[in-house]
Amino acid sequence: MKKVVSILSLCVVLLLAACGVNGGSSSSESASGQSGSGSESEGKKVLEFWHIDPGEKEKIYKEAVDRFEKKHPDVEVKMLRIPNDAYKQKLAVAMSGGNPPDVFHSWGGGWLKHFVEQDKVLDITQNTDFEHFNKLALNNSTFNDKVYGLPLSMTIDVVFYNKEIFEKYGLQPPKTYEEWLTIIDTLNENDVIPIALTNATKWPGAYYLMNFASRIEGPELFDSAYNRKGRGFDDEGYVKAGEYIQEMVERDAFNPGFNGVPYDEGQGRQLIYTGQAAMMDMSISFLNNVRQEAPEFEEKLDFFVFPTVEGGKGDQTQIGGATGPVWSVSKDSKNSDLAVELLKELTSTETAQNYTDRTGSLTGVKDIVPEDPFTKRFYDVVQNATHIQMPYDQTLPPEIAELHKDTTQAIFGLDMTPQEAAEKMEAKAKEVLK
Amino acid sequence: METQLARAKTVSKSTSKLSSKTLKNVLTISLFIAPALIVYIVYVLYPIVSTFIYSLYDWDGSSAGTFVGLHNYLNLLGDSIFWTSLTNNTWVVLTSVFVQIPLGLIMALMLFAPIKGIRFFSSVYFFPFLMSTVAIGLLWVFMYDPINGVINKFINLFGFENIAWLSEANTALIAVLIVVVWQFAPFYMILFKAAIVGIPEELYEAANIDGANALRKFFHITLPLLMPTIVSSSILAIVGSLKAFDIFYVMTGGGPNHGTELLGTYMFKQAFINFNMGYASAIAFVMFFIALVVTILILIMDFYRKKKGAY
Repeated sequence: MKKVVSILSLCVVLLLAACGVNGGSSSSESASGQSGSGSESEGKKVLEFWHIDPGEKEKIYKEAVDRFEKKHPDVEVKMLRIPNDAYKQKLAVAMSGGNPPDVFHSWGGGWLKHFVEQDKVLDITQNTDFEHFNKLALNNSTFNDKVYGLPLSMTIDVVFYNKEIFEKYGLQPPKTYEEWLTIIDTLNENDVIPIALTNATKWPGAYYLMNFASRIEGPELFDSAYNRKGRGFDDEGYVKAGEYIQEMVERDAFNPGFNGVPYDEGQGRQLIYTGQAAMMDMSISFLNNVRQEAPEFEEKLDFFVFPTVEGGKGDQTQIGGATGPVWSVSKDSKNSDLAVELLKELTSTETAQNYTDRTGSLTGVKDIVPEDPFTKRFYDVVQNATHIQMPYDQTLPPEIAELHKDTTQAIFGLDMTPQEAAEKMEAKAKEVLK
Repeated sequence: METQLARAKTVSKSTSKLSSKTLKNVLTISLFIAPALIVYIVYVLYPIVSTFIYSLYDWDGSSAGTFVGLHNYLNLLGDSIFWTSLTNNTWVVLTSVFVQIPLGLIMALMLFAPIKGIRFFSSVYFFPFLMSTVAIGLLWVFMYDPINGVINKFINLFGFENIAWLSEANTALIAVLIVVVWQFAPFYMILFKAAIVGIPEELYEAANIDGANALRKFFHITLPLLMPTIVSSSILAIVGSLKAFDIFYVMTGGGPNHGTELLGTYMFKQAFINFNMGYASAIAFVMFFIALVVTILILIMDFYRKKKGAY
């Protein structure tokens, strides 16, 4: 009996040891397996490439990758598409786990900077052809004069409107805020929702705060507040921007319950398509949505640039925009030279031309003129722009970016006075931005 | 006397023999326990301990953290959003226990009522629980739509104005709680249904002979015999609602203005949006701690209830 017991206990110990060793080795094995795949497996070098776009955009990336693979027959690119919602978490985990993709998607700005500060992103200043890119777009992935990402695409936000409704009530696209308010009143009298807003997602509302702030004090306000050069987020300009927003809310400029309506699910767009609402301040990707969801609506669609305010320092050549995809190479990449080559192919003139023609978007690459007449008009707006304000929530560090969206939503909901919101922002800015 | 002593001796001998035998069995038993125990340690105990350790650091998830002691917890106590989340979590707990479970019980009792076609309803009632939470969330977001939503169209029929359900902090919480109840009541219904089937028919027969009416039968037979099920359902409901996350994340994302923020959603934001892993771990550990204390309290109460001779 004793013998049996001792044998059994020995077995247990062995089993435990085996489990432990196995667990340890398997994890290290998978790690080395991954990095191994990064260097050389089956004699081919492998680059891992993460992006988030389905459909036509994915096809365009695939074509760029194919061109790259033709030039470098010894390299295999593994493309992985990660759905937008999960992407930020997944990349953050991969980065901190020391197992990042070689080439990855970002939107530039604060989120990319976060990884740059952790020394996870390769400095590609040496390999950047500054003449090739739109300077305003490239700025968004340049930190301390070093380039960390190349922008394939950029977007701007404009106010879309329904031409038919405007004609019916004899309205002209507004140049000033005052004119805009008159339009809002007219539409309200005729039971048309003036502006569709989907603010559960928080960023659509943030457009208004950013645009108003830029119209009131000019784009210098944000730069000064962000870089801590004298002015703050509690500046009079921000308080006033909040007051403009609340004035619009009190005038019933927006659909009721806007703070609970999410953008992606499409109820807001539905209001526009059905003519229940007349306007919407949105990024130009809206055009793509229209073409996919309600193609017959396109003939009624037109847009104007965010109006100016009385006595404001800003004008209509200062627009709100964003970049993305911005392609970057991670510092841990085993084949960083090849990864940089892939980056160049992904932002080449050919890729950019395809991108703009087939997706109706603008690109971060210079002198790519869209064939599509509607997109061409967006292009002209950008050509005439003197300043492109990247979204605060992509420029600021994540914590304060989130607060900016939360307080703006609260201003819209009349839950917070603009003064309170501005003070909260400044308090956080003092803590986070040093 | 002597025989008694002798008997005592043999008894003690046999127990000592028994205990040495059990000692030998311990190894055999531990061999059988080992696989489950290892899984438990690796996936339950170890994460709890490491969460606590992370919570003592100011850490952004990838660079090396700095040790800050209990600083995260002190910040937490002064964080108004944390207290809002805790209050909201309390509301979820209260609704689960005092609305979901009674509703589950009522639905289970209805399934035993002599109503025609009730078998059909037993499946219908159970449907919500079978659907994926994300699908449910999206479905209800559309139903709650402030302009074109089905629910607003319905209340319009009765002359009420449209309500922007998910857009105001106070209605948003109620609106999501309704969905939570709708989704999980069927789960408790199934538990209660199984428990009711297990109640011996004889008890009801005896009660019939004594002339008890339906109400008395319910309060003196059904309810006491369901008590163990109610206790375990309560634990499930309370712990489940303390760590609630998914439906709130899908439907409101904690908004508007933190009106539906929960410990779970706030933890997620701190961890994956703000990259405050240390702070998020502190929230996670507080969640764990509250759930632990509450569960222990319920078990103690149940222990004394059983001691008093209840079934």
